[in-house]
Amino acid sequence: MLGKMTAPTKFQLADAPMSADRTAGFRFVSSFGEVFQAANGTWMLTSAEAVKFAVRHPEVFSSAEATNAGSGIPIPLIPVAVDPPAHRKYRLVLDSMFAPRVVNAMEDDLRTQARDLIAAFANKGECDVVGDLARLYPTQVFLTFFGMPLDDRDQLVGWVETMLDHSTTGTAEAGPEVVEAATGLFGYIQRFIDEKRERPGDDVLSRLLALEGDDAWSDEEMLGCCFLFTVAGLDTVTGAMGFLMRHLALNPELRRQLIADPTLLGPVIEETLRVEPPAPTISRTTTQDVEVCGVRIPAGSPVALCLGTANREPGHWEHPDDVDVAQADRGHMTFGGGIHRCLGSHLARRELRLVVEEFHKLIPEYEVAPGFDPVAVWPAGTLHLTSLPLVFPVGDGGA
Amino acid sequence: MRVVIDYERCTGNGRCYALFPDLFGDDESGYGQVIGDGSIGDDQLDEARSAVVACPEDAVAIEGE
Repeated sequence: MLGKMTAPTKFQLADAPMSADRTAGFRFVSSFGEVFQAANGTWMLTSAEAVKFAVRHPEVFSSAEATNAGSGIPIPLIPVAVDPPAHRKYRLVLDSMFAPRVVNAMEDDLRTQARDLIAAFANKGECDVVGDLARLYPTQVFLTFFGMPLDDRDQLVGWVETMLDHSTTGTAEAGPEVVEAATGLFGYIQRFIDEKRERPGDDVLSRLLALEGDDAWSDEEMLGCCFLFTVAGLDTVTGAMGFLMRHLALNPELRRQLIADPTLLGPVIEETLRVEPPAPTISRTTTQDVEVCGVRIPAGSPVALCLGTANREPGHWEHPDDVDVAQADRGHMTFGGGIHRCLGSHLARRELRLVVEEFHKLIPEYEVAPGFDPVAVWPAGTLHLTSLPLVFPVGDGGA
Repeated sequence: MRVVIDYERCTGNGRCYALFPDLFGDDESGYGQVIGDGSIGDDQLDEARSAVVACPEDAVAIEGE
């Protein structure tokens, strides 16, 4: 007998009061138990033990089935839409292209790009962190990595946001604007695959195209991989950047400590990532009957791994719901875990660090615009702020 | 006493070498590697214990403690 049978609850993720306060939202989710079935049939895994069990058994908790069922995209999103053992071939190649050493080599360029975006509003006395920085910078970084022109940034942002806005509302039918955006993005990527096959550069796309023999990737594999980066690697960083800057804006003491002692930045980033995970859940589908924390989940079930609640496991952190640099680096799950651990984690952390460092060089003092309440969009596949207006003193007009 | 990485679990999160560069280095794919044979002295034990806690995959362990 595989664990106890349980009945579905009345839980709906959309009911979680997540918008104003993630603490209230994640507590609502956890209050139903560590493993339970939502009203829509999805099994929710909320404890760290349950989430870790799932990510460490990818043959039972299939990312491929969950991704292909939910994406509505006609090609496999590589590598999340691939299970072991095939997954390993892709990941071996991609890990080395997104390793810290590679990011290190790009740092000067990425830092300059962050500085330029911030310098554009530094003497205006106000900005919208989301609109002027967090929505733009991750896309520039993507374009830089893939060897595409930065001039295409706004076009790319538009396509991706149109697709994501619709994919996360849960409506089955994509409207014409979504189809148009997806078609535009596919065409754009295909154009660069063709171009770089002719004239390779020093970028991820060219390196993937250079793989030969049994290791070579088809156009479909290349497209799926590039597409995944745009739908998983941009709005998540936008979300994380918004929450990080929001926390620093609302906590001037912490911000001043950080400016005085830059070694605090890593811990602050880790703690905000832990408490404010842009992807609150990730999806899997069971390939067989399985018992998780004493509860039986049947084969073929949709499962949501709740990273946000696992990150706030009582007992593991002294202050589970607070950003506290004294308890940083105790192994949060914001980047997932197991074989599908976020490939862009090293890059995302670097983007967050560069943005804060460069922001504080030009704008050390700032606060949320009076009267504005920075709430998160909910329900949403990616937790994020739509806007974060800040006001700040302007220097003497120099620089 | 030495620190070890279980490569059945390590997925290249990179927390070990980011936080404890005296004990761990990185390879070309971003996976952690113990420095030398991983031997540590008593004075490095606290650091090693913090590395065990920091790994989100529970892949770091101390042998012979």
